[in-house]
Amino acid sequence: MFEINLVNKNEILLSGRFDATQVEKALEIFINIQETHIVNFEKLDYISSAGLSVLLKTQKRLTTNGHQLKLKNINKHIREIFQYTGFDMIFEIE
Amino acid sequence: MGQKFKRNIRSLNDVFEYIAVFIDKHPLDESTAFSLNLAVEELFTNIIKYNADNPNPILLNLKRSPDALVAELTDYAVEPFDITKSHDYDPSLSLDKRPIGGIGIHLVKKMFDEVKYDYKDQQCKITLIKYLGASDV
Repeated sequence: MFEINLVNKNEILLSGRFDATQVEKALEIFINIQETHIVNFEKLDYISSAGLSVLLKTQKRLTTNGHQLKLKNINKHIREIFQYTGFDMIFEIE
Repeated sequence: MGQKFKRNIRSLNDVFEYIAVFIDKHPLDESTAFSLNLAVEELFTNIIKYNADNPNPILLNLKRSPDALVAELTDYAVEPFDITKSHDYDPSLSLDKRPIGGIGIHLVKKMFDEVKYDYKDQQCKITLIKYLGASDV
């Protein structure tokens, strides 16, 4: 199961598994983000390249206007994925 | 043996269920289990993407020995096309130069020790091998 929710005005909470079947659901939120947001991975167990691509596209778009996604509470497995892909260099991670 | 899955993104839920049952019978450490789920998803979705019109299902076979975890994906009635030979993904590129594609195969190659492509009799088989140490169970 995957859930994505906007909380606290500028925070996106991800839950469950962000796999290729969940891209459309995620885009419903990410496509409307126009300013800096925090993405909270606290409840996210899994992410694949499909999910990473959504984050990357959003980051590319936001940074052209001086905004960005900031990521927090990433678990050790997902953090490893971020290191393999160099995402830890293009996202601010708490 | 293995199991065949319909060539559809929505089959991923069944694929993950199949993997979960396998892991139940052949325990793996969390990291290896995560890698297995991720690598199979990446290859399954790539096979669908590059051969969308093929009506045949995709075969997934998982094997575990004391030393190794093996995942095989077989695609039927296809022309030869090695999806594992992707353009090398460069994780050091700046954000503006970073391509959207290629991440999946890059991850597969990082997480598994061997990634093999075989083509014979109109069948394409991709084999992933991860060598397991004492800490992988």
